[in-house]
Parts: sequence; C-alpha cells; structure tokens
Amino acid sequence: MEEEEEGSGEEQQRFSYRQRLKAAVHYTVGCLCEEVASDRGMPFSKQTIAAISELTFRQCETFAKDLEMFARHAKRSTINTEDVKLLARRSNSLLKYITEKTEELAQFNTEQKAKKKKKLEDDNTKSVVPAEAAAAEKDGS
Amino acid sequence: MAESYDRESEPTTRTLLRRVLDTADTRTPRRRRSARVSAQKALLETPSSRRLSSPTKMNVRQRSHRARSISRLAHVHTSGNLEEQTPRTLLKNILLTAPESSIMMPESVVKPVPTPQVVQSSRRESSRGSLELQLPELEPPTTLALGLLAPGRRKQRLRLSVFQQGMDQGLPLSQEPRGNASASSLTSSLNLTFATPLQPQSVQRPGLARRPPTRRAVDVGAFLQDLRDTSLALASPGNTVLEDTQPFSQPLVGRSPSVYHSLPCTEAEDAERAVSHRTQSSGPRLQNHNPRKPAQLLAAKAKKVDALAVSFPNNSSAISGEDGVEPLQDGVGEEAEERMEEGLSVSKVMDTTGTQGSVRTEKSKGYREMTEAVEAKEPEGSSGDEDISGRTASPELASSTTEFLQARRPQFLEPAPPPSTAVLSSEPLEPLSTRLPPRARTPGPRPRQDPHKTGLSHYVKLFSFYSKMPMEKAALEMVEKCLDKYFQHLCDDLEVFAAHAGRKTVRPEDLELLMRRQGLVNDQVSLHVLVERHLPLEYRQLLIPCAFSGNSVFPAQ
Repeated sequence: MEEEEEGSGEEQQRFSYRQRLKAAVHYTVGCLCEEVASDRGMPFSKQTIAAISELTFRQCETFAKDLEMFARHAKRSTINTEDVKLLARRSNSLLKYITEKTEELAQFNTEQKAKKKKKLEDDNTKSVVPAEAAAAEKDGS
Repeated sequence: MAESYDRESEPTTRTLLRRVLDTADTRTPRRRRSARVSAQKALLETPSSRRLSSPTKMNVRQRSHRARSISRLAHVHTSGNLEEQTPRTLLKNILLTAPESSIMMPESVVKPVPTPQVVQSSRRESSRGSLELQLPELEPPTTLALGLLAPGRRKQRLRLSVFQQGMDQGLPLSQEPRGNASASSLTSSLNLTFATPLQPQSVQRPGLARRPPTRRAVDVGAFLQDLRDTSLALASPGNTVLEDTQPFSQPLVGRSPSVYHSLPCTEAEDAERAVSHRTQSSGPRLQNHNPRKPAQLLAAKAKKVDALAVSFPNNSSAISGEDGVEPLQDGVGEEAEERMEEGLSVSKVMDTTGTQGSVRTEKSKGYREMTEAVEAKEPEGSSGDEDISGRTASPELASSTTEFLQARRPQFLEPAPPPSTAVLSSEPLEPLSTRLPPRARTPGPRPRQDPHKTGLSHYVKLFSFYSKMPMEKAALEMVEKCLDKYFQHLCDDLEVFAAHAGRKTVRPEDLELLMRRQGLVNDQVSLHVLVERHLPLEYRQLLIPCAFSGNSVFPAQ
C-alpha cells in the first residue's frame, strides 16, 4: 500500500516534472517560431507550435536513448562528442556544423590548456620573483 | 452343337463376343500359374461348356496350354450366364477376362488393351495359324471395346509405364509379328486392330501416342523488337524512371491482349517507345485504342497505386504530393465526360492525366504516368503492413532520420512540379517534350551494374508475391530503388557503428545496435528473442550460444 502510494507519488512527481520540461520546451519553441515568423513575415499558428514542441520533446527522448546506446556500444559510460557526431551524421549540414563546433571547442581547449600552462609558469616565476623581491625588500629594510 | 455352328456361320456381335469369351483364358491377372491352370480347368468344367462346341472346346484347351506361360486373365464370374447377357455385358466380360500380356514382351506384364489379349496371347506363337483362330469380322466389337476401355480397369493403366518402357526397348522379335500384323488385314484378327494403337504413331489410341511437343512458331518480328527494347532499356541507364521497365515486361510479351492488369502496363511502357513497333495483335490496335488503353491502364494502375502507396509511407511527402494532385484535379472536369471509367477518385485523376498524355507523345505520357504513380503514392501514404515497408518505416520513424526523408523528398519533388505545371498548361506537348530530355539526364548514371542488383530483384519478387494486389512494373522498379537505398543506408550505418567502436569489422553487436535504433529490439524484446522467432534452426544455432556435449558452447563466446 505504501509502496503503491509512494510509487504513485513518485509517478506523479515524474509526471509533473515531465510536464514542466515539456512546458519549457514549448516556450523555447514558441520563441524560436516567433523569431522565424518575424523574419519570414508569416505567422505560426498555435497548433503548429504545439506540434513542433511535442515533436522536439519526443525527438529529444530518442536522441538521449540513442546517445546512451552509442556510448555503451563504444564501451564507455560517458556520452562523448563522438556519439553526438554519430547521431547527427544523417543531415550533412548538421554534421558539418557539429564538427566545426567540436573543432572550435578542441582548439579552444588546447588554447586554454596552453594559457593555463603559461599562466602556471608565469605564476611560478612571478611567485618566485615577488618572493625574492619580498625577501630582498625585507633584507633591504 | 448346331447352335454353335450357326453361331460361327453368322457372326453377330453377340456371337463374336461369346466366342471371344469362350476362347479366352479364364485367369485372374495376379494369380500364379497354378491358380491359372486350376482356373482354366474350372472354366472348362463350367456348365456353360455345354454351349461350347467340341471344336471350340478343343481350341480353348489348346490355346490355353499355349498361352499359359504368358497370359493372365481375370476370372470370369459371369461365364455361366452367357446366354442371358447383352453385348454390353459380354464386352465387360471380355474386359475382365482379357489376359494382361503385351505383344512386345515375351514375359508379358501388361498392355493397355484387354480384349485383344485374347488374340495377342496367341501371338506368342510365331505361327500365324494361331491368328486364324480368332474371330474374323471383329471390327465393330473391337471399336466398342476400345470405347469401353476408357472406363476400364485402372490396373491396366497403371502398368502402362512398364509397357511404354517395353516399347522403348523395342524388342526386336516384336517387330516381325507386328509387321505381320499390320500386313494382314485388320479384320483378320482382333490382335491387329489393337496392335497398331500400341505404337506411337497410332491414331486409334491417341491418349497413348507420344505426340511431338507442339511449338508455336516464333514471331521473329516480335522477338527482334523485344531485343531492341531490352537494349534500349539497358542503354538508358540513367532514365530508370522513364523507360527502364523492360526487364520486367519481357515475360508479358507473349500474352494475348486481354483485359489483364499487367498487360496494360506493358502496353503503356511499350507505348513509350514508337507505337508502331509492337508486332503483337495489340500493336496495330494500339493506335486506335490509344485513348482507351492508357485510361484502362490508369484505371488498373490506380488500384495498384493504392497497394504501392501503402508500402511507401515514407514517401508521403504529402506537401509535394498534394501539390501534384490538385493541378491534376483541375483537368479532371474537362476530360471526365470523355471517359467512361470507374468511379475511383484517384483513377479519375490518373485518367485525366492519361488522356492528356494520349494526346502527347507516348514518351511523355509514359513519363507522366510514372510520375503520377509517384505522386499518387505520396498523398495516399498510409501505414502499411508490408514487411519491407514496415522495416523501412520503422527505421525512419524510430531513428532520427527525418533528415533522410528530407533528402529523399527532393527526389520526388523533382518529378512532381514539372508534370503538375505541364498538366496545367494548355500546350502540354511542347513544355514537356522540352523538359523531357534534360530530365532524362538529371537522375544521373546508374550507380550499380545489373549483376549487383540481381540480389535486389529477388527481394522485389518477394515483395510482389506478398503484396495482395498485382504490381505494376513501375512500382516494382520503385521498390527496387528504395530497397537499394535502404540497404545502402543500412550498410553505412553498420560501418559507422563498427568504426565508432574502434573496430574494422562489423560484428553482431553493431547489428543489435542498429536494430535497437530501428525499434525492433528493445528492453522487452531482445535480439535472441527475434532470432528465435524468425530464423530457422540452422541460423539460430549459429547465433545463439548453445551448449553441446563435452562442455562445449557453440558459437564460442
């Protein structure tokens, strides 16, 4: 009995959570559609927006499952950009976009790493110098 | 006594038959010789023997002795009541009593004719004198017997093969008596009338005769034309949509132009080429029936299109389809009165376009018919139960392949707008013909040679087998194309999955992943379950690890 209640309570919770997610997606889709409508000069009906948001939500579920499957297929436990690229291989433009983004990200990461390294070295040297300077000042004063 | 003499002097049917019966050996076909002998004796002792004259009696005994080694006869049950019987019953007796001996084989097993056996048994003796013992004018009864033979004993027929074997062997000794038999007059003995039918050239037993296979004269013109068509089809590899239907239309070449579904389709495709070339009877009529045939074809096509549309839910790029259908329907009103077609709405649409097509060149019409088939598919897209269609549907739906649909949609969008505009225009001939040559080039070269596609044709045949309605050749072509794309897609996926796992070979795990994406394998249904359900035992053994004797598991994990 308690389990059922708990189960149903949990289910309720899940359901409400889901609804909230759906609402969020719907809102985002609505914003995007408005933007496109203003661009093209053609308004979107409410049903269209609702349909698109529902579609997006379901597709997100599918994507998530697929990504998980891909990661498991590659014997990993974390989803990688490789998995995402595999997912997006269907549409060429999307794939290109994603690869570009990943490259950018990779570049950025390497740059970041380089910067960090440099910073570390500078810090080391800087810390050494002020220490020395401090030591020197101390000595001086 | 006097009676018997009278009988011999005036050979009526009845007397003749009686004589045959009297002279026949009364033995059952399957009894041993001892039984035969006893049967003979029994016959001789029957009360009917009172009617036998002494000479005939002696004849019987003599012949029975001679014929014992070869002939076998059924027991005559009714031999006692010869007096009361009609010619019909007498003949029946003959049938029953006739010994089963072949004139060909010395150790006779059988031959198809029972009555003459009486005579044939005597033929064992090379002496022709034995023949004379037979009845002289026996033609009428023999012919009668022939007629009765048809409902005759089955067991005689069953042994026919043996007889024919014997004939094939063509025993040399049979030649002489046969020749003698044919030489002598037909009426000289029962034998003769029945000997000849046993030969293949006989006319009297047409059922047994080995007729040469009847062959229709080859229509050289039609054959050459078909060759040309085939070469045409092969020569235009890129134009798969337009003309590449010959490989399937070949079997239909020889068909008579009846109201048959596939034939109108063939005719339409042939109509794509020059009309005059059809040497079939439908050919000369094609010109006259041009307006009617495409309408017929399309009416038939409409039904096929429904079947086809069911199997192509993916191509329901409904937007393009609807665009195509609406302008077509504009033309419906104009042409509807001219046509007396079935009331299918789709067929109407098709008909109008078809009639418009008839006005134009055959090529353009055929082209439009193809595209119409494509278009009609799209608006009528519905979920199909077809295996293949289901498979194509599920990967499309389950996996994120909307992009794929979009990629395929342009293909169908291409043919859709041109015909719709062509239909709308008043002078459709020119724009379409001008548009036609460039359209022929755009599909591009055929990606694979024919030998690679032979595997697909097998699937296409399966498809047409499982479909509930007859399929058009254009539809089958489409199916083949789609299957080709589907399998290409599938293999690309498998390759990518393998690469994703850092491998270079595709393994069952990749396939399982693919099936998961297709939705065939999920948390409730595992791959093994599917294997168990659908594959035969041999394949199942290869896939599902099973323990064998000696603690060995196959396939090895």
